Amino acid sequence: MSTILLEVATPDKGEVFAKDINMLICRSIAGELGILPKHARLLTELVPNALRIKFDGSETLLFVSGGFMEVTPEKITILADSAEVPDDIDVERAKSAYKRAEDRITGFKNKGDTEIDIKRAEAALARAKARLLVKGVPIP
Amino acid sequence: MANLQHIRRRIKSVKNIQKITNAMDMIARSRFNAARDALLSNIPYVNKTKEIMRRVVSQMRGREYEHPFLKTRDELIAEQQNADGKFLFIVIASDKGLAGSFASNVFKEAHDTIEYDGTDTGTSMDDDGDDENFHKKNFDALNAVKPIAHRTQKQQRQMNATGGVARAAAHGGGSSSGANVSVAREYNDAAYIDGIEIITVGRKATTHFQQRGYNIIKSYHGISERPQYKYAKEIADLVMERYASGEIIDVTLIYTQFKSAISCVPDDVTLLPLVTDDYAKASANLKEEYIYEPDVMSILNEFLPRRLATRIYGAMLHSAASELSSRMNAMSNATDNAQELVGRLNLFYNKVRQAGITNEINEIVGGANALE
Repeated sequence: MSTILLEVATPDKGEVFAKDINMLICRSIAGELGILPKHARLLTELVPNALRIKFDGSETLLFVSGGFMEVTPEKITILADSAEVPDDIDVERAKSAYKRAEDRITGFKNKGDTEIDIKRAEAALARAKARLLVKGVPIP
Repeated sequence: MANLQHIRRRIKSVKNIQKITNAMDMIARSRFNAARDALLSNIPYVNKTKEIMRRVVSQMRGREYEHPFLKTRDELIAEQQNADGKFLFIVIASDKGLAGSFASNVFKEAHDTIEYDGTDTGTSMDDDGDDENFHKKNFDALNAVKPIAHRTQKQQRQMNATGGVARAAAHGGGSSSGANVSVAREYNDAAYIDGIEIITVGRKATTHFQQRGYNIIKSYHGISERPQYKYAKEIADLVMERYASGEIIDVTLIYTQFKSAISCVPDDVTLLPLVTDDYAKASANLKEEYIYEPDVMSILNEFLPRRLATRIYGAMLHSAASELSSRMNAMSNATDNAQELVGRLNLFYNKVRQAGITNEINEIVGGANALE
Protein backbone atom coordinates (compact mmCIF):
# COMPACT_ATOMS: atom_id res chain seq x y z
CA MET A 1 0.00 0.00 0.00
CA SER A 2 1.39 3.39 -0.92
CA THR A 3 2.15 5.86 1.79
CA ILE A 4 2.46 9.59 2.32
CA LEU A 5 4.52 11.38 4.94
CA LEU A 6 2.51 13.22 7.56
CA GLU A 7 4.20 15.86 9.71
CA VAL A 8 2.40 17.70 12.47
CA ALA A 9 4.30 20.62 14.03
CA THR A 10 3.28 23.01 16.79
CA PRO A 11 4.90 26.26 17.95
CA ASP A 12 5.92 24.99 21.38
CA LYS A 13 6.26 21.23 21.12
CA GLY A 14 8.10 20.85 17.87
CA GLU A 15 7.21 17.91 15.69
CA VAL A 16 4.41 16.05 17.39
CA PHE A 17 3.88 13.48 14.69
CA ALA A 18 6.01 12.36 11.74
CA LYS A 19 5.22 9.06 10.05
CA ASP A 20 4.43 7.51 6.70
CA ILE A 21 0.70 6.96 6.67
CA ASN A 22 -1.89 5.52 4.32
CA MET A 23 -4.70 7.99 4.79
CA LEU A 24 -5.59 11.11 6.72
CA ILE A 25 -9.09 12.31 7.50
CA CYS A 26 -9.36 15.82 8.83
CA ARG A 27 -11.81 18.68 8.98
CA SER A 28 -11.06 21.97 7.25
CA ILE A 29 -13.12 25.14 7.46
CA ALA A 30 -14.72 24.05 4.21
CA GLY A 31 -15.63 20.56 5.40
CA GLU A 32 -14.31 17.06 5.95
CA LEU A 33 -11.35 16.00 3.81
CA GLY A 34 -9.76 12.62 3.16
CA ILE A 35 -6.19 12.74 1.94
CA LEU A 36 -4.59 9.78 0.17
CA PRO A 37 -1.06 9.51 -1.22
CA LYS A 38 -0.40 11.48 -4.43
CA HIS A 39 -3.02 14.03 -3.59
CA ALA A 40 -2.95 17.29 -5.56
CA ARG A 41 -1.34 20.33 -3.97
CA LEU A 42 -3.68 21.84 -1.44
CA LEU A 43 -3.59 24.52 1.20
CA THR A 44 -6.35 24.87 3.70
CA GLU A 45 -7.20 25.90 7.22
CA LEU A 46 -8.23 23.32 9.81
CA VAL A 47 -10.80 23.62 12.56
CA PRO A 48 -10.33 22.07 16.03
CA ASN A 49 -11.01 18.40 15.58
CA ALA A 50 -9.63 14.90 15.80
CA LEU A 51 -7.35 13.89 12.95
CA ARG A 52 -7.96 10.32 11.90
CA ILE A 53 -4.68 8.83 10.79
CA LYS A 54 -4.68 5.44 9.11
CA PHE A 55 -1.54 3.42 8.81
CA ASP A 56 -0.51 -0.25 9.13
CA GLY A 57 -4.15 -1.25 8.98
CA SER A 58 -5.06 0.63 12.15
CA GLU A 59 -6.38 4.06 12.95
CA THR A 60 -4.88 6.62 15.35
CA LEU A 61 -6.53 9.77 16.58
CA LEU A 62 -4.70 13.03 17.09
CA PHE A 63 -6.15 16.21 18.50
CA VAL A 64 -5.43 19.46 16.67
CA SER A 65 -6.72 22.83 17.78
CA GLY A 66 -6.89 24.36 14.34
CA GLY A 67 -4.09 25.49 12.07
CA PHE A 68 -3.07 25.04 8.48
CA MET A 69 -2.57 22.02 6.29
CA GLU A 70 -0.44 21.89 3.18
CA VAL A 71 -0.66 18.84 0.98
CA THR A 72 1.84 17.94 -1.71
CA PRO A 73 1.88 14.61 -3.55
CA GLU A 74 4.58 13.27 -1.19
CA LYS A 75 3.94 15.03 2.06
CA ILE A 76 1.25 16.45 4.30
CA THR A 77 2.35 19.24 6.60
CA ILE A 78 0.07 20.35 9.39
CA LEU A 79 0.90 23.52 11.29
CA ALA A 80 -1.26 23.26 14.36
CA ASP A 81 -1.65 25.75 17.18
CA SER A 82 -1.44 22.73 19.43
CA ALA A 83 -1.65 19.01 18.86
CA GLU A 84 -1.99 16.23 21.41
CA VAL A 85 -1.89 12.46 21.31
CA PRO A 86 -4.65 10.78 23.34
CA ASP A 87 -2.28 10.02 26.24
CA ASP A 88 -1.53 13.71 26.75
CA ILE A 89 -5.13 14.78 27.04
CA ASP A 90 -6.50 15.64 30.45
CA VAL A 91 -10.12 14.47 30.35
CA GLU A 92 -11.22 16.30 33.48
CA ARG A 93 -9.78 19.54 32.22
CA ALA A 94 -11.43 19.15 28.84
CA LYS A 95 -14.74 18.36 30.51
CA SER A 96 -14.62 21.41 32.73
CA ALA A 97 -13.53 23.56 29.79
CA TYR A 98 -16.50 22.20 27.87
CA LYS A 99 -18.86 23.07 30.69
CA ARG A 100 -17.40 26.54 31.16
CA ALA A 101 -17.68 27.34 27.47
CA GLU A 102 -21.22 26.03 27.32
CA ASP A 103 -22.26 28.11 30.32
CA ARG A 104 -20.72 31.14 28.69
CA ILE A 105 -22.66 30.61 25.52
CA THR A 106 -26.01 29.99 27.19
CA GLY A 107 -25.31 32.90 29.51
CA PHE A 108 -24.70 35.09 26.48
CA LYS A 109 -28.07 34.31 25.11
CA ASN A 110 -29.64 35.33 28.40
CA LYS A 111 -27.79 38.42 29.54
CA GLY A 112 -25.51 39.44 26.70
CA ASP A 113 -21.72 39.17 26.67
CA THR A 114 -19.63 40.87 24.02
CA GLU A 115 -19.24 39.44 20.56
CA ILE A 116 -15.59 38.55 21.16
CA ASP A 117 -16.30 36.67 24.38
CA ILE A 118 -18.80 34.50 22.65
CA LYS A 119 -16.48 33.77 19.75
CA ARG A 120 -13.78 32.79 22.18
CA ALA A 121 -16.18 30.54 24.07
CA GLU A 122 -17.27 28.88 20.85
CA ALA A 123 -13.65 28.18 19.93
CA ALA A 124 -13.01 26.78 23.43
CA LEU A 125 -16.08 24.61 23.10
CA ALA A 126 -14.89 23.24 19.78
CA ARG A 127 -11.47 22.47 21.24
CA ALA A 128 -12.91 20.73 24.30
CA LYS A 129 -15.24 18.71 22.10
CA ALA A 130 -12.39 17.62 19.85
CA ARG A 131 -10.26 16.63 22.84
CA LEU A 132 -13.05 14.49 24.27
CA LEU A 133 -13.61 12.97 20.85
CA VAL A 134 -9.96 11.95 20.57
CA LYS A 135 -10.10 10.46 24.04
CA GLY A 136 -13.26 8.56 23.15
CA VAL A 137 -15.17 10.08 26.06
CA PRO A 138 -18.86 10.66 25.41
CA ILE A 139 -19.66 14.34 25.19
CA PRO A 140 -21.82 15.43 28.13
CA MET B 1 55.48 49.27 50.14
CA ALA B 2 51.98 47.95 49.53
CA ASN B 3 49.94 47.49 52.63
CA LEU B 4 49.13 43.88 53.51
CA GLN B 5 45.68 44.80 54.68
CA HIS B 6 44.89 46.54 51.41
CA ILE B 7 45.87 43.50 49.42
CA ARG B 8 43.81 41.27 51.66
CA ARG B 9 40.82 43.50 51.16
CA ARG B 10 41.34 43.53 47.42
CA ILE B 11 41.50 39.72 47.31
CA LYS B 12 38.33 39.49 49.31
CA SER B 13 36.43 41.85 47.03
CA VAL B 14 37.61 40.04 43.92
CA LYS B 15 36.48 36.77 45.47
CA ASN B 16 33.08 38.28 46.22
CA ILE B 17 32.70 39.46 42.67
CA GLN B 18 33.71 36.02 41.50
CA LYS B 19 30.95 34.51 43.62
CA ILE B 20 28.43 36.82 41.99
CA THR B 21 29.58 36.18 38.44
CA ASN B 22 29.64 32.49 39.14
CA ALA B 23 26.07 32.60 40.43
CA MET B 24 24.98 34.60 37.39
CA ASP B 25 26.68 32.09 35.17
CA MET B 26 24.76 29.26 36.74
CA ILE B 27 21.46 31.11 36.57
CA ALA B 28 22.06 31.98 32.92
CA ARG B 29 23.00 28.38 32.26
CA SER B 30 19.79 26.92 33.62
CA ARG B 31 17.67 29.57 31.92
CA PHE B 32 19.58 29.02 28.74
CA ASN B 33 18.71 25.34 28.78
CA ALA B 34 15.03 26.22 29.04
CA ALA B 35 15.34 28.85 26.32
CA ARG B 36 17.19 26.48 24.02
CA ASP B 37 14.57 23.79 24.49
CA ALA B 38 11.84 26.29 23.71
CA LEU B 39 13.71 27.40 20.62
CA LEU B 40 14.46 23.90 19.40
CA SER B 41 10.85 22.86 19.65
CA ASN B 42 9.78 25.98 17.80
CA ILE B 43 12.22 25.65 14.92
CA PRO B 44 10.38 22.89 12.97
CA TYR B 45 7.18 24.90 13.05
CA VAL B 46 8.83 28.10 11.88
CA ASN B 47 10.75 26.32 9.14
CA LYS B 48 7.68 24.55 7.87
CA THR B 49 5.71 27.78 7.86
CA LYS B 50 8.52 29.37 5.92
CA GLU B 51 8.65 26.53 3.40
CA ILE B 52 4.94 26.64 2.81
CA MET B 53 4.98 30.39 2.47
CA ARG B 54 7.84 30.20 0.04
CA ARG B 55 6.02 27.71 -2.14
CA VAL B 56 2.75 29.58 -2.00
CA VAL B 57 4.21 33.02 -2.54
CA SER B 58 6.44 31.91 -5.39
CA GLN B 59 3.32 30.68 -7.06
CA MET B 60 1.75 34.08 -6.71
CA ARG B 61 4.22 35.52 -9.18
CA GLY B 62 2.62 36.85 -12.26
CA ARG B 63 -0.84 36.19 -10.96
CA GLU B 64 -3.29 38.75 -9.88
CA TYR B 65 -4.04 37.90 -6.32
CA GLU B 66 -3.99 41.30 -4.86
CA HIS B 67 -3.18 40.70 -1.28
CA PRO B 68 -1.86 43.83 0.42
CA PHE B 69 1.07 41.91 1.94
CA LEU B 70 2.31 40.60 -1.39
CA LYS B 71 3.98 42.82 -3.92
CA THR B 72 6.19 42.48 -6.93
CA ARG B 73 9.29 44.62 -6.83
CA ASP B 74 7.91 46.86 -9.59
CA GLU B 75 4.77 47.46 -7.61
CA LEU B 76 6.80 48.15 -4.54
CA ILE B 77 8.95 50.70 -6.30
CA ALA B 78 6.00 52.37 -7.95
CA GLU B 79 4.35 52.63 -4.60
CA GLN B 80 7.25 53.70 -2.46
CA GLN B 81 8.37 56.36 -4.91
CA ASN B 82 5.44 58.49 -4.02
CA ALA B 83 4.05 57.04 -0.86
CA ASP B 84 4.63 58.93 2.30
CA GLY B 85 4.45 56.04 4.70
CA LYS B 86 7.08 55.36 7.32
CA PHE B 87 9.60 52.61 7.75
CA LEU B 88 9.05 50.48 10.82
CA PHE B 89 11.80 48.55 12.54
CA ILE B 90 11.30 46.01 15.28
CA VAL B 91 14.43 45.63 17.37
CA ILE B 92 14.70 42.70 19.74
CA ALA B 93 17.43 42.95 22.37
CA SER B 94 17.67 42.28 26.10
CA ASP B 95 16.37 43.78 29.31
CA LYS B 96 19.62 43.43 31.18
CA GLY B 97 23.25 43.96 30.36
CA LEU B 98 26.17 41.83 31.48
CA ALA B 99 25.84 39.71 28.39
CA GLY B 100 29.00 40.67 26.61
CA SER B 101 28.45 42.41 23.31
CA PHE B 102 25.03 40.89 22.79
CA ALA B 103 23.02 44.11 22.84
CA SER B 104 25.57 46.26 21.05
CA ASN B 105 25.79 43.74 18.22
CA VAL B 106 22.06 44.00 17.73
CA PHE B 107 22.24 47.79 17.74
CA LYS B 108 25.06 47.77 15.26
CA GLU B 109 23.01 45.62 12.92
CA ALA B 110 20.01 47.85 13.53
CA HIS B 111 21.90 51.00 12.62
CA ASP B 112 23.35 49.23 9.62
CA THR B 113 19.87 48.47 8.41
CA ILE B 114 18.07 51.61 9.47
CA GLU B 115 20.68 54.01 8.13
CA TYR B 116 21.41 52.00 5.02
CA ASP B 117 22.04 54.37 2.15
CA GLY B 118 22.99 52.11 -0.71
CA THR B 119 26.59 51.41 0.20
CA ASP B 120 27.10 48.37 2.29
CA THR B 121 29.75 48.78 4.93
CA GLY B 122 30.16 45.07 5.11
CA THR B 123 29.74 44.88 8.86
CA SER B 124 26.51 43.00 8.54
CA MET B 125 26.78 39.27 8.43
CA ASP B 126 23.29 38.45 7.42
CA ASP B 127 23.77 37.55 3.79
CA ASP B 128 23.18 33.93 4.48
CA GLY B 129 21.37 33.33 1.24
CA ASP B 130 17.91 33.07 2.72
CA ASP B 131 15.41 35.17 0.88
CA GLU B 132 14.28 37.21 3.78
CA ASN B 133 16.53 40.23 3.79
CA PHE B 134 14.83 42.55 1.38
CA HIS B 135 15.27 45.83 3.11
CA LYS B 136 18.56 46.60 1.43
CA LYS B 137 17.48 45.05 -1.85
CA ASN B 138 14.35 47.17 -1.86
CA PHE B 139 16.39 50.23 -1.14
CA ASP B 140 18.84 49.45 -3.93
CA ALA B 141 16.02 48.83 -6.36
CA LEU B 142 14.48 52.14 -5.47
CA ASN B 143 17.87 53.76 -5.81
CA ALA B 144 18.41 52.32 -9.27
CA VAL B 145 15.17 53.73 -10.53
CA LYS B 146 15.60 57.14 -9.02
CA PRO B 147 19.21 58.22 -9.40
CA ILE B 148 20.75 60.55 -6.88
CA ALA B 149 19.63 63.75 -8.58
CA HIS B 150 15.97 62.80 -8.39
CA ARG B 151 15.76 60.98 -5.15
CA THR B 152 12.47 60.50 -3.48
CA GLN B 153 11.88 62.72 -0.56
CA LYS B 154 12.39 59.87 1.80
CA GLN B 155 15.65 58.79 0.28
CA GLN B 156 16.88 62.33 0.33
CA ARG B 157 16.05 62.53 4.00
CA GLN B 158 17.72 59.28 4.65
CA MET B 159 20.77 60.41 2.72
CA ASN B 160 20.90 63.74 4.48
CA ALA B 161 20.57 62.20 7.84
CA THR B 162 23.12 59.54 7.32
CA GLY B 163 26.03 61.26 5.67
CA GLY B 164 29.21 59.24 5.60
CA VAL B 165 30.45 60.67 8.87
CA ALA B 166 27.41 59.75 10.81
CA ARG B 167 27.35 56.29 9.42
CA ALA B 168 30.98 55.71 10.21
CA ALA B 169 30.38 56.93 13.70
CA ALA B 170 27.34 54.80 14.21
CA HIS B 171 28.93 51.69 12.84
CA GLY B 172 32.54 52.01 13.85
CA GLY B 173 32.22 53.95 17.05
CA GLY B 174 30.81 51.17 19.16
CA SER B 175 27.19 52.04 19.47
CA SER B 176 26.69 51.35 23.14
CA SER B 177 29.66 52.88 24.83
CA GLY B 178 32.14 55.70 24.94
CA ALA B 179 31.85 57.92 21.91
CA ASN B 180 28.11 57.88 21.68
CA VAL B 181 27.30 59.58 18.47
CA SER B 182 23.67 60.30 18.23
CA VAL B 183 23.11 59.93 14.55
CA ALA B 184 19.61 61.22 14.60
CA ARG B 185 20.14 64.05 17.02
CA GLU B 186 23.45 65.24 15.69
CA TYR B 187 22.03 65.73 12.25
CA ASN B 188 18.92 67.11 13.80
CA ASP B 189 16.86 66.07 10.84
CA ALA B 190 13.30 66.05 11.99
CA ALA B 191 12.03 64.79 8.65
CA TYR B 192 14.32 61.79 8.76
CA ILE B 193 13.32 60.87 12.26
CA ASP B 194 9.70 61.26 11.30
CA GLY B 195 10.16 58.71 8.57
CA ILE B 196 11.21 55.99 11.00
CA GLU B 197 9.34 54.19 13.70
CA ILE B 198 10.74 51.63 16.07
CA ILE B 199 9.20 48.95 18.23
CA THR B 200 11.62 47.77 20.88
CA VAL B 201 11.70 44.57 22.86
CA GLY B 202 13.98 44.81 25.88
CA ARG B 203 14.89 47.73 28.09
CA LYS B 204 18.38 48.02 26.56
CA ALA B 205 16.95 48.60 23.11
CA THR B 206 14.51 51.19 24.40
CA THR B 207 17.15 53.29 26.14
CA HIS B 208 19.53 53.00 23.21
CA PHE B 209 17.08 54.33 20.66
CA GLN B 210 15.51 56.82 23.01
CA GLN B 211 18.89 58.43 23.64
CA ARG B 212 19.38 58.75 19.95
CA GLY B 213 16.09 60.50 19.48
CA TYR B 214 14.27 57.85 17.49
CA ASN B 215 10.54 57.60 17.53
CA ILE B 216 9.63 54.53 19.56
CA ILE B 217 6.00 53.70 19.12
CA LYS B 218 5.90 50.79 21.52
CA SER B 219 8.27 48.96 23.80
CA TYR B 220 8.04 45.65 25.55
CA HIS B 221 9.96 45.08 28.75
CA GLY B 222 10.34 42.01 30.91
CA ILE B 223 9.51 39.55 28.16
CA SER B 224 12.81 39.10 26.39
CA GLU B 225 14.12 36.21 28.48
CA ARG B 226 10.94 34.18 28.40
CA PRO B 227 9.03 35.15 25.28
CA GLN B 228 5.39 34.33 24.95
CA TYR B 229 3.39 33.93 21.80
CA LYS B 230 0.78 36.43 22.89
CA TYR B 231 3.30 39.28 22.80
CA ALA B 232 4.44 38.30 19.32
CA LYS B 233 0.79 38.27 18.32
CA GLU B 234 0.31 41.69 19.85
CA ILE B 235 3.25 43.11 17.91
CA ALA B 236 2.05 41.45 14.71
CA ASP B 237 -1.43 42.89 15.16
CA LEU B 238 -0.07 46.36 15.77
CA VAL B 239 2.18 46.12 12.72
CA MET B 240 -0.60 44.87 10.48
CA GLU B 241 -2.97 47.56 11.64
CA ARG B 242 -0.50 50.32 10.86
CA TYR B 243 0.47 48.69 7.59
CA ALA B 244 -3.14 48.37 6.52
CA SER B 245 -3.81 52.01 7.28
CA GLY B 246 -0.85 53.01 5.11
CA GLU B 247 1.04 54.66 7.95
CA ILE B 248 3.95 52.34 7.41
CA ILE B 249 5.12 50.84 4.14
CA ASP B 250 8.00 48.63 5.18
CA VAL B 251 8.54 46.50 8.26
CA THR B 252 11.92 45.06 9.19
CA LEU B 253 12.72 42.86 12.14
CA ILE B 254 16.16 42.93 13.71
CA TYR B 255 17.10 40.21 16.16
CA THR B 256 19.92 37.87 17.05
CA GLN B 257 19.91 34.52 15.42
CA PHE B 258 21.02 31.70 17.65
CA LYS B 259 23.29 29.40 15.70
CA SER B 260 25.08 27.62 18.51
CA ALA B 261 26.11 28.34 22.07
CA ILE B 262 29.20 30.13 20.82
CA SER B 263 27.81 31.75 17.70
CA CYS B 264 24.96 34.22 17.74
CA VAL B 265 24.58 36.42 14.69
CA PRO B 266 22.42 39.51 14.35
CA ASP B 267 20.01 39.23 11.46
CA ASP B 268 17.53 41.47 9.72
CA VAL B 269 14.34 40.17 8.20
CA THR B 270 11.78 41.98 6.11
CA LEU B 271 8.34 41.14 7.43
CA LEU B 272 6.23 43.31 5.15
CA PRO B 273 5.68 43.60 2.29
CA LEU B 274 6.65 40.23 0.90
CA VAL B 275 8.33 40.76 -2.43
CA THR B 276 7.35 37.92 -4.71
CA ASP B 277 10.36 38.38 -7.00
CA ASP B 278 12.61 37.19 -4.22
CA TYR B 279 10.89 33.87 -4.05
CA ALA B 280 11.94 33.00 -7.57
CA LYS B 281 14.36 30.29 -6.50
CA ALA B 282 11.74 28.16 -4.87
CA SER B 283 9.36 28.30 -7.81
CA ALA B 284 11.80 26.88 -10.36
CA ASN B 285 10.55 23.34 -9.95
CA LEU B 286 6.99 24.14 -9.14
CA LYS B 287 4.57 23.88 -12.00
CA GLU B 288 1.34 22.72 -10.47
CA GLU B 289 -1.03 25.11 -8.88
CA TYR B 290 -2.39 24.75 -5.39
CA ILE B 291 -5.96 24.05 -4.60
CA TYR B 292 -7.08 26.51 -1.99
CA GLU B 293 -9.88 25.44 0.25
CA PRO B 294 -12.17 27.45 0.43
CA ASP B 295 -10.37 30.12 -1.68
CA VAL B 296 -7.06 31.93 -2.06
CA MET B 297 -7.94 35.15 -0.34
CA SER B 298 -9.40 33.69 2.79
CA ILE B 299 -6.45 31.33 3.18
CA LEU B 300 -3.93 34.11 2.64
CA ASN B 301 -5.82 36.36 5.01
CA GLU B 302 -5.40 33.78 7.72
CA PHE B 303 -2.03 32.40 6.81
CA LEU B 304 0.06 35.53 6.29
CA PRO B 305 -0.81 37.15 9.63
CA ARG B 306 -0.07 33.83 11.30
CA ARG B 307 3.25 33.66 9.53
CA LEU B 308 4.06 37.17 10.71
CA ALA B 309 3.35 36.39 14.35
CA THR B 310 5.19 33.08 14.10
CA ARG B 311 8.21 34.81 12.63
CA ILE B 312 8.27 37.39 15.42
CA TYR B 313 7.81 34.71 18.06
CA GLY B 314 10.59 32.64 16.53
CA ALA B 315 12.86 35.68 16.50
CA MET B 316 12.08 36.32 20.17
CA LEU B 317 13.03 32.76 21.04
CA HIS B 318 16.23 33.06 19.04
CA SER B 319 17.02 36.29 20.80
CA ALA B 320 16.34 34.84 24.25
CA ALA B 321 18.59 31.87 23.66
CA SER B 322 21.30 34.15 22.25
CA GLU B 323 21.05 36.56 25.15
CA LEU B 324 21.37 33.82 27.74
CA SER B 325 24.19 32.08 25.96
CA SER B 326 26.03 35.40 25.60
CA ARG B 327 25.53 36.04 29.30
CA MET B 328 26.70 32.56 30.09
CA ASN B 329 29.89 33.11 28.11
CA ALA B 330 30.46 36.57 29.54
CA MET B 331 29.95 35.38 33.11
CA SER B 332 32.09 32.30 32.85
CA ASN B 333 34.85 34.45 31.35
CA ALA B 334 34.43 36.89 34.22
CA THR B 335 34.67 34.07 36.74
CA ASP B 336 37.83 32.75 35.09
CA ASN B 337 39.36 36.21 35.06
CA ALA B 338 38.54 36.68 38.72
CA GLN B 339 40.19 33.37 39.51
CA GLU B 340 43.33 34.46 37.69
CA LEU B 341 43.31 37.82 39.41
CA VAL B 342 42.98 36.18 42.82
CA GLY B 343 45.94 33.98 41.99
CA ARG B 344 48.09 36.93 41.02
CA LEU B 345 47.03 38.92 44.07
CA ASN B 346 47.81 35.98 46.32
CA LEU B 347 51.29 35.73 44.87
CA PHE B 348 51.78 39.45 45.34
CA TYR B 349 50.43 39.24 48.89
CA ASN B 350 52.88 36.47 49.77
CA LYS B 351 55.76 38.36 48.24
CA VAL B 352 54.91 41.44 50.25
CA ARG B 353 54.51 39.41 53.42
CA GLN B 354 57.82 37.68 52.82
CA ALA B 355 59.52 41.01 52.13
CA GLY B 356 58.16 42.27 55.44
CA ILE B 357 59.52 39.29 57.33
CA THR B 358 62.91 39.58 55.63
CA ASN B 359 63.03 43.24 56.56
CA GLU B 360 62.26 42.52 60.19
CA ILE B 361 64.95 39.86 60.36
CA ASN B 362 67.42 42.30 58.77
CA GLU B 363 66.51 44.89 61.34
CA ILE B 364 66.96 42.43 64.22
CA VAL B 365 70.29 41.24 62.84
CA GLY B 366 71.35 44.81 62.21
CA GLY B 367 70.36 45.79 65.75
CA ALA B 368 72.22 42.83 67.25
CA ASN B 369 75.33 43.68 65.21
CA ALA B 370 75.19 47.29 66.40
CA LEU B 371 75.19 46.15 70.03
CA GLU B 372 78.37 44.12 69.67
